[in-house]
Amino acid sequence: MRERLAVAARGNTDLLALAALLLLVLAAYQHYDSSLLTPASITILSAQFLPLILAAAGQTTVMLLGGIDLSLGAVLALAMAVFATYEAQGAGGVLAAAGLALCVAVAAGAVNGALVAYAGLPPIVVTLAASFLWGGATLVVLPQPGGQVPAGLVDAYNNGWNGVALPAVTVAVVLGLWRLLRTTRHGLALYAVGGNEHGAYASGLHTRGVKIAGYALAGAFTGLAGIGLAVQTGSADPTIGAPYTLNSIAACVLGGISFFGGVGRMRGTVLGALVIGLLTNLLLFTGISPFYQLIVQGVILVVALALKTYLTREAAV
Amino acid sequence: MNARSVRGALAVAASLCALTGVTACNVESGSTSAGADKSASSAPSAKDLKVGWSTIYLTPSWMQQTLKMLQTDVDKLKSAGKVSSFKTFNANGDTSQQIAQIRAMIQQKYDVILVDAGSSTALNPALEQAVAAGITVVAFDSLPTSTKVIRVGTDQKAWGSMMAEWLAKKLDGKGSIIAMNGPAGVAVSEDRWSGAETVFKKYPDIKIVSNVHSEYNLAPAAQAFASAYSAHPDIDGVFSQGGALSAAALQTLVKQDKKLVPITGENYNGFLKLWQSKQKEGFSSLATAQPNYLSVIALEAAVAKREGVDVPQDIDVPLPEITDDNLGDYAKPDQADDSYPINDLPQADIDKLIGK
Repeated sequence: MRERLAVAARGNTDLLALAALLLLVLAAYQHYDSSLLTPASITILSAQFLPLILAAAGQTTVMLLGGIDLSLGAVLALAMAVFATYEAQGAGGVLAAAGLALCVAVAAGAVNGALVAYAGLPPIVVTLAASFLWGGATLVVLPQPGGQVPAGLVDAYNNGWNGVALPAVTVAVVLGLWRLLRTTRHGLALYAVGGNEHGAYASGLHTRGVKIAGYALAGAFTGLAGIGLAVQTGSADPTIGAPYTLNSIAACVLGGISFFGGVGRMRGTVLGALVIGLLTNLLLFTGISPFYQLIVQGVILVVALALKTYLTREAAV
Repeated sequence: MNARSVRGALAVAASLCALTGVTACNVESGSTSAGADKSASSAPSAKDLKVGWSTIYLTPSWMQQTLKMLQTDVDKLKSAGKVSSFKTFNANGDTSQQIAQIRAMIQQKYDVILVDAGSSTALNPALEQAVAAGITVVAFDSLPTSTKVIRVGTDQKAWGSMMAEWLAKKLDGKGSIIAMNGPAGVAVSEDRWSGAETVFKKYPDIKIVSNVHSEYNLAPAAQAFASAYSAHPDIDGVFSQGGALSAAALQTLVKQDKKLVPITGENYNGFLKLWQSKQKEGFSSLATAQPNYLSVIALEAAVAKREGVDVPQDIDVPLPEITDDNLGDYAKPDQADDSYPINDLPQADIDKLIGK
């Protein structure tokens, strides 16, 4: 019992430090943009951050299983392309398009998971190969930037719908669902397989099934991110997904998700994604020369990560 | 408990240091934006304009040359009192980042936003929001599809058809060729190729034996061409839609000591230099250019628009033609391969294009 409390405290120190960093970034942001805490700004910012947060949630799911998903950007673009090329008419059409895009992304995730589970190949190799597969499929669906999303939806997403920040609501709903899932048998199995695969197998878990389900869930998150990006931009672009692969990994690592699986929390990832997103925006406001922005961004990430490692190592002693 | 609070304090302190660094950098560059506090006036005027340029990439040499030309024009407009500040934003290949940059410029009340778009569709909502906020938005080079912004560009389809037409005539309408295109899924590459395809359809005896996609970079292009060429060594010509691609193809032929078939080109200096040195051996080409002065035309158009000039929505800049005869005016043997020799466009021509 005492041990469990200690573990919980350790996780919290981690998250508290990250939250403190987020507050600092927010305070600096407020200094440059005094409209930060107005509903309009919150809508715009959440519209901007939703794809990264959801992509990072997908990456988190895979990383909790002890894997890493290099095909995330490609699957994101695939979902985006499917969603925007579907001739959506009215609300029913949009839902059908979203459903189709989600199915495609979940299927892509499940294929990744099956390859990892049954081929016995390292996830990094499988998902690297899969990134070409899904990248090619995206170009088949959408050979060049195009597609359409109903203008009303784009406006409601980017500028708020009756004063409600739809992207923020979406993220909250997804986080709520994750919270529910985490306490179920499936959620616990995910952590168990990621933390100690042999142990999980020995205690009777169908580890391959858990992996496939986990990658499929990651696909669902990634698909949602792709749909979000399509709604944000009002269109689809087959090459837009690539930066999300590495950015989602950065958000996860910053958020305290272990590369070795089984350790980390979704709320950490969300904080990590927010810090990365706000930081890049903040640097735009400061007017530092573009090349120095990259340096500053890198330095802050390295400092945050080093600090995190230091904190967890100290606590483990 | 105590150890934990120490660690927490340490975390906060380190983050603070990092952020102080950010603020310190800002102080240094703060002096360049003299007009930062001035809010955007709704009435059209061209005084002390706050100008920002968001570009998808800043590192390629083409962009560096573009920035240099743009900076020269900015300096000129600054001394005329028309522009007060100019800032460049580099999205480093990330379109989502570019959207963030445009939104940041809207919030900071820029007067003029220039943009070199990373996606032909994804920036539209953000750019249209800027227009709605009273900002003059001018896109150049890689253009968005939005019809609400002023677009300064060259006709990429015409680029492709111009090259294809020359090659088809050179081959007397028959023979097999390799097509060297840019990355799949990129609008510029698709447009140039679709322009070329319509021409090749008119010449049924021209066979495209291989259609290669490559980055617009020498190393990957050379690899891509080498594998296509080893499969089809008996080609009669190469359709290439970019200078680095052309240089890669020509270099391969030269290195393997093969027949120098006609290759279409661009004003990439590495290609122009090689073309010039192989001209005596009968190598022939036609090259065009994506002129760096597009940026200057874009800025001049924005300023003219603020002055109340009726600037056309779409400014189609004619493509230059580099032929076997005028090659000497362009090729710069003393300059690096990775440069794009082009001369400034006379002010009179710019004025004509922007409707002054």
